[in-house]
Amino acid sequence: MRQDFPLPDVTWEPAREFWAGASRSELLIPRCTACGAYAWYPVARCRRCGEGRFAWTRMSGRGRLFSWVVVHRAFLPAFAAKVPFVAALVALDEEPAVRLATNLVDCVPEALDFDMPVRAVFRPLRFPGVEREVMAPMFVPVEGR
Amino acid sequence: MADSDWGCPTPLEDIAGEIAIVGVGESAHTRASGRSPKEIAAEAVERALADAGLPPSAIDGLMYAPFMGGQFDAAAFHAYFGTSHDLWVSERGGGMVWAGTAPYDAALAIRAGQARYVLNVFSVAWATQRAEMVGGPGQVHAEDLVKQNIEVPFGWFPQPVYFATIARRHMHEFGTTAAQLGAIAVACRRHATLTPAAVMHDRPLTLADYLASPPLVDPFRKEDCCLISDGGGAYVMTSVERARDLRQPFIEVAGVGLGNSYTGTYWSQQGAFTSTPQVFAAPGAFAMAGLTPADVDVLTLYDPFTIVALMQIEDMGFCRKGEGGAFVEGTALHFDGGVLPYNTHGGMLSHAYVLGIAHVVETVRQVRGEAAAQVSDAEVGVYGGYTGPQASTLILRRR
Repeated sequence: MRQDFPLPDVTWEPAREFWAGASRSELLIPRCTACGAYAWYPVARCRRCGEGRFAWTRMSGRGRLFSWVVVHRAFLPAFAAKVPFVAALVALDEEPAVRLATNLVDCVPEALDFDMPVRAVFRPLRFPGVEREVMAPMFVPVEGR
Repeated sequence: MADSDWGCPTPLEDIAGEIAIVGVGESAHTRASGRSPKEIAAEAVERALADAGLPPSAIDGLMYAPFMGGQFDAAAFHAYFGTSHDLWVSERGGGMVWAGTAPYDAALAIRAGQARYVLNVFSVAWATQRAEMVGGPGQVHAEDLVKQNIEVPFGWFPQPVYFATIARRHMHEFGTTAAQLGAIAVACRRHATLTPAAVMHDRPLTLADYLASPPLVDPFRKEDCCLISDGGGAYVMTSVERARDLRQPFIEVAGVGLGNSYTGTYWSQQGAFTSTPQVFAAPGAFAMAGLTPADVDVLTLYDPFTIVALMQIEDMGFCRKGEGGAFVEGTALHFDGGVLPYNTHGGMLSHAYVLGIAHVVETVRQVRGEAAAQVSDAEVGVYGGYTGPQASTLILRRR
């Protein structure tokens, strides 16, 4: 395993643009240039039409809370200082079949609800003993709800 | 069951009534034992051969799972028994889904004359090895570069997190409750307390205990999650003709089914988020057997988590989709009078973490009539195997 695990390897080609976008506070998802289907997770060939060219497309960052958990046990030592935290799947407004694994932040876990509107915020991923940090899309409940 | 946008069945030839399971064996099931998977497997194999009344020299087919480290392969077989004869070897054996489909591949090999007596074997020593693994049994997922780079950094890892997320969505879509998941854990534990070999034999669990247990990965408590233990199992298969000459009651392989999910272990992207590929596996198995879920006397399911059992019960047709919660309430799954006696040895939640091989052993014992928590006059037993990418259904019948 990499020395800086569980930080993402931002040079890993299939998701390089995702992390590069996040460093500019942009949420980018690959989209098939032939048929327009969103291709998440990254794949070599479009699941719908079989073509192999994708354009990383900026998303609004708006989505719905598809499901979530409150993690109380650190399954990796790197998360020991973070528990309890909310790990979640967010379905993006532009294509709800695209679900991002992410964290809900600035929220009260008891107030979370299914399909509630959420929006992306960009926060650093940091782990003990790892100097580097990586900006990542996380989500907060949309205010005024 | 036709293809859908998220999965499909694997077409299988009809092998109903061609072969039988004629011997079963388990190792001791323990916390960290210090033993290797091969040592554990050898104990299970020796017991399976003794149960079948066959010498090692009679075994001419071996099925195992090479991708799981240190498994009991042909070299280990010969080294342990001091034999050197030719073995037909298949890498499509072991536990999980393959504990359910190994009889299909064995039937084709036996039909083709490639083997006469086929052994399927599986073992794990993850309780012993856990400290060296990244996230324990999550290591295989941590090593997947997609997960490593877009899931794990957010702590959406490992399996208890995936399946607690699925459980919460199931609760939303269908009104499933914690007490309903708890009923599954309680049934398994009760069966384990009646099964001397079960790891949790001495640890009774009530629904009140379950509900009072603190959250691990909310909505899961630790009781929703399987054990981590060392152990193994094995079973021996042969043609029904040869089976008649052996010492054990005649347990026929009546049906096998296999289903697939196109999104594999990327559960976050699965179209039917609260379903399993059992929806594609079970119908084929029941059609092959000429049976329906209503004919099943005892069910064993690969149960890494309570929710995986609940979804499979729905997806195999024991109740309608979404009604699993109400279906499993109370004592519905108990061996003595429940509508669907389930994981009568305690399952992976309470018996042992041997990834389904002990489930098949238990199913055979039930339809033989020799289980510890014996279902009255069980004739048809079903095992449901699961990996995420695939699910299998194995239907066994006493003849």
